[in-house]
Amino acid sequence: MPLLEAVGISKRYGGILALNKMHFAATAGEVHAILGENGAGKSTFIQIVSGAVAADEGELRLDGAPYRARGPREARRTGISPVFQELSLIPDLTVAENIFFGDEQLSALGTISQRDLNEKAAALFATLDLPTLPPGAPVRSLSIGDRQIIEIVKGLASDPKILILDEATSALLPKEVDWLLNKARERAAQGKLVLYISHRMDEVRRVADRVTVLRNGETVGTEATAELSDKDIVSMMLGRRLDRLFPERKPTATGKIALKVTDLKVAHQLRGVSFDLREGEVLGVAGLQGHGQRELFMALFGAERPEGEVEVWGRKVTIRSPGHALSPEIGMALLPEDRRNQGLLLGKPIRENIVLSAFKRIVRRGLVDPRAERELVESAAAQLRIKADSIEQPAGTLSGGNQQKVVLAKLLATEARILLFFDPTRGVDVGTKAEIFSLMRDLAARGFAILFFSTDLAELAHVADRTLVMSYGKIAATLEGEAMTEGAILSATLSHKAAA
Amino acid sequence: MSTLATLARRHSWLPPLIVLLLLGAIIGILRPSTFTGDQINIKIAAAMTLILIATGETIVVTRGGIDLSIGGILSLTTAICATRGDPGLTESVFWIGFVLALGAIVGVVNGLIITFGRLQPFVVTLATWSILEGCALTVLPAETSGVPKSWVDLEHAMPFGIGVPMILLGILIVLWAWFSRTRVYNEIRAAGSNERSAYLNRVSVLGTNAWAYGLSGFFAAAAGLYFATQTGAGHPTVGTQYVLPAIAAVVIGGTNLMGGRGSLMGTIVGAFILTLIGDVVFLLKLQSYWQWVMSGLILMLVVILTALTESRSNSGNGG
Amino acid sequence: MKRFSPSPIFLAYVAALLLFALVSVYSPGFANPAHVGTLVTLAAFIGIVAIGQTIVIVGGGIDLSVPWILNSAAILVTALAHGQNWPLIWIVPLVLLIGCGIGLINGIGIALLRVPPIVMTMSVNVITQGLLLIVTRGFPPPLAPQALTFIAAGKVGPVPIILFVWIVLAAAVVIMERRTAFGRYLYALGSNRTVATLSGVPVIRTTITAYAISGTTAALAGILLCGYSRQAYLGMGDPYLFTSIAAVAIGGASILGGTGSYLGTIAGALVLTILNGVLPIFRLDAGALKIIYGLVILLAVFIAAPSLRELLQRRRGSK
Repeated sequence: MPLLEAVGISKRYGGILALNKMHFAATAGEVHAILGENGAGKSTFIQIVSGAVAADEGELRLDGAPYRARGPREARRTGISPVFQELSLIPDLTVAENIFFGDEQLSALGTISQRDLNEKAAALFATLDLPTLPPGAPVRSLSIGDRQIIEIVKGLASDPKILILDEATSALLPKEVDWLLNKARERAAQGKLVLYISHRMDEVRRVADRVTVLRNGETVGTEATAELSDKDIVSMMLGRRLDRLFPERKPTATGKIALKVTDLKVAHQLRGVSFDLREGEVLGVAGLQGHGQRELFMALFGAERPEGEVEVWGRKVTIRSPGHALSPEIGMALLPEDRRNQGLLLGKPIRENIVLSAFKRIVRRGLVDPRAERELVESAAAQLRIKADSIEQPAGTLSGGNQQKVVLAKLLATEARILLFFDPTRGVDVGTKAEIFSLMRDLAARGFAILFFSTDLAELAHVADRTLVMSYGKIAATLEGEAMTEGAILSATLSHKAAA
Repeated sequence: MSTLATLARRHSWLPPLIVLLLLGAIIGILRPSTFTGDQINIKIAAAMTLILIATGETIVVTRGGIDLSIGGILSLTTAICATRGDPGLTESVFWIGFVLALGAIVGVVNGLIITFGRLQPFVVTLATWSILEGCALTVLPAETSGVPKSWVDLEHAMPFGIGVPMILLGILIVLWAWFSRTRVYNEIRAAGSNERSAYLNRVSVLGTNAWAYGLSGFFAAAAGLYFATQTGAGHPTVGTQYVLPAIAAVVIGGTNLMGGRGSLMGTIVGAFILTLIGDVVFLLKLQSYWQWVMSGLILMLVVILTALTESRSNSGNGG
Repeated sequence: MKRFSPSPIFLAYVAALLLFALVSVYSPGFANPAHVGTLVTLAAFIGIVAIGQTIVIVGGGIDLSVPWILNSAAILVTALAHGQNWPLIWIVPLVLLIGCGIGLINGIGIALLRVPPIVMTMSVNVITQGLLLIVTRGFPPPLAPQALTFIAAGKVGPVPIILFVWIVLAAAVVIMERRTAFGRYLYALGSNRTVATLSGVPVIRTTITAYAISGTTAALAGILLCGYSRQAYLGMGDPYLFTSIAAVAIGGASILGGTGSYLGTIAGALVLTILNGVLPIFRLDAGALKIIYGLVILLAVFIAAPSLRELLQRRRGSK
């Protein structure tokens, strides 16, 4: 009998059917992966299981008995413990306070003892073979990777029947990922159920016994992992074979150097980086979380104060601020990492978002020319095929892929010819991904120079002309041509620990 | 140096305490007689209204909000106190309980409006401040003495040579030592630190708001009760004079206006600083208006220093 | 089917009109031209102070230093002019510049030193008050020059001159909001500071400019107000803190920033002034007025609240 079973579950948000009579069954003692594109219904399902939202119809069964959690608290008491992608730690509370939050032992006076919590946390860390994390430190002082680990520890602390890991490895280093996958297998061996949601196929292969694929809110199927090829999984997710995710790559780089960086340094994170980015080139950047790529992009864009030299189109420059980087003098634009918090004004119309960095093009004698504004926005929206009711639709109401297109339109509206793309396909559906890649190659062919960081190494291997591999704040390797395979990039990101 | 800095970060009330000691030293030099038991009782009595009202504000600010309605509750409480005639014991107990409960209920209502309407605390409590001050003026159109004599006498009693204010201060500190370790306060801190994370941790946004604003209303009513019995009169517009100083005391005490981190010890220190500035100005024979300039400068200085140390410690952890 | 979803600004005007119509029916004298002229004049003072407050709030801040910038401007103008008209040529620009300068200090503290706006402007308000009182030693200054009284209280036919001033300023502000880069930057900044920074918005310059404008409009209101009341007096700015914020809130702007328009604020100023004018007609006292003020603000923020609009939209969407 399955431990967790879903029968015909539907959930509607406004006009959108997030789950449509969805079925699911997982047994105790397995690691069960759930795969699907963005918007396939994975997170809605997880939220229903963990009690954060209620299903409109259908039934959840736990050990064969109907089960309906009224709120996360009750789900947790039943033994369902979710570790969300969105960090749920409270920054001003200590590590120990966070781990046991809500489950603290109270004294006779109803008080919580800090010392008890710290001791319990230390003991827990010991049993989970984690290097000594500081139980008494406020979470706000920790790195993102450590926070992610504490999030997982928190999920494990109550020894749940069902542990849900939702994209829990996104901020982890490889050896931390190994640790997590081991813990997941251990729990399965102990007869518990682990639901594993990840975009990383290799992790799914290493850890999951079975895979359930969702598409458009419906269950496509559940299969043993070993019996499926990557291609099978992708076609289950997409419902059609996606023949050409990546565009054809013709070398378009000229001899002209658009951006020359010499010995760029930012505090401890970026420790001396030099490279040339040529006109018409897509220069890839690879690196594990926290190896200096974010600082590199931010420093080039004027959001950090670096040491070292930067030349733009042959002129030595000091980029003082993002505004300066975007000015015609420099002509450099950034597609930031976090679309919702760094890229878009979610409450404002598409129109206002697109022109935000490009006022110089639509201001005549100190005033915005509405016709010029409209033309600029409509041509940009058409070029990128943004799907929206009108250009007055608030950006926040668009799908992830369309939001990213608005950010891209905003970048192109600046007329900057050096583009910094920091993980442009993050949280974007496969269709839009393909469009973004072909746009990048197209821009390169038109003489733009693109610096392109991605967490997905396949993207670098198929889209970039060359790839810089960063490790410990330095460039550990530069790969190009035949040598620039996914595997080669990966091993280069891992191998240069000596550089520290 | 670095240990000092860590100490200051962990106990955010240490820097203001140093300021307070400095002020104390200046007063001590200029008027050595200040540090007698009597004088200390008087100073505590002078600071107590501000301490009480700022206690509630500390809780609300820790919750990540702000409460301006405390001014209205203070005014209304003094107005009610001054219109009770000459009540007997039972009546007295009833009315004192009534004003405290009224403050708490008004606070809870603030919390409910803010949560259900998903509204800004600043505007909501600005509006309720106006409503409450209007009620105060309706109950008592102008400043009048008339607080029951028995209440005033009780407040001015000196059992064992210790003034009631000092006893109140002691009770407040003990209560806080308990309250700050309870689950309710932990949840208030959590919700103030990051409401979304707190929600994911099953903290009720509504519950923490109701508690925080309810306690704030309760303490504002307590401050009103204290103020009325201290002066023997009802002041239907006195609240205006206390709202900004209450926020100032909280901020000077090292409580973060962004929420999540609060310290009542700091607030008490802050309230004493604001009270003693008046003495310093007087003893230096300056025009009394310097009091405002100096409190404004101290407030600004504290916040600038906090902002600078924050950004330093944050940049140290970046990446 | 055409969707009808009235904007908060539209509703604020409807409220102003309805209120005016109702009171006029009840008390016909209310609508006579002379009285309407008075109402418009009084609304203009709120409206002019609220120019700065709207700009600052749209940019995600708040300006609590309005009362004493206004008061300082009024006192400086009368004190420097000694009742004479011709020196106003240099005094008025000078005083506006001083207001602008105080605003600049606010802006610098908030943008560069990262002091929370509430604390910064509150400190500046207290310091300005203290310094002004120290300089004037609390003595009332002489009467306002005739020329100021003419502009602030004079009429062309039945139309108050100040109405023209207000209309010109309002037009300038609305154009600035919609058609200048500064205006757009302000909305971007108020919506999301990080996005604004990474989009190349000059965040620091925009913030400082907003507060400088607010200081200037508060000073301008002070100059006109002392002309209207023929003299400057201490505390004349105090009511304008509440009314300027209330006008913005009634006009549909979120105190969080990023939304709203000065068009809404104008309606807010009208609503507040009409409410004030209702007072003597219904023989209401000051207390009742404050209660009504509070309720109106609560109502306004509820109508403009995102939660309510979302709810309505969602219901429409599911049909």
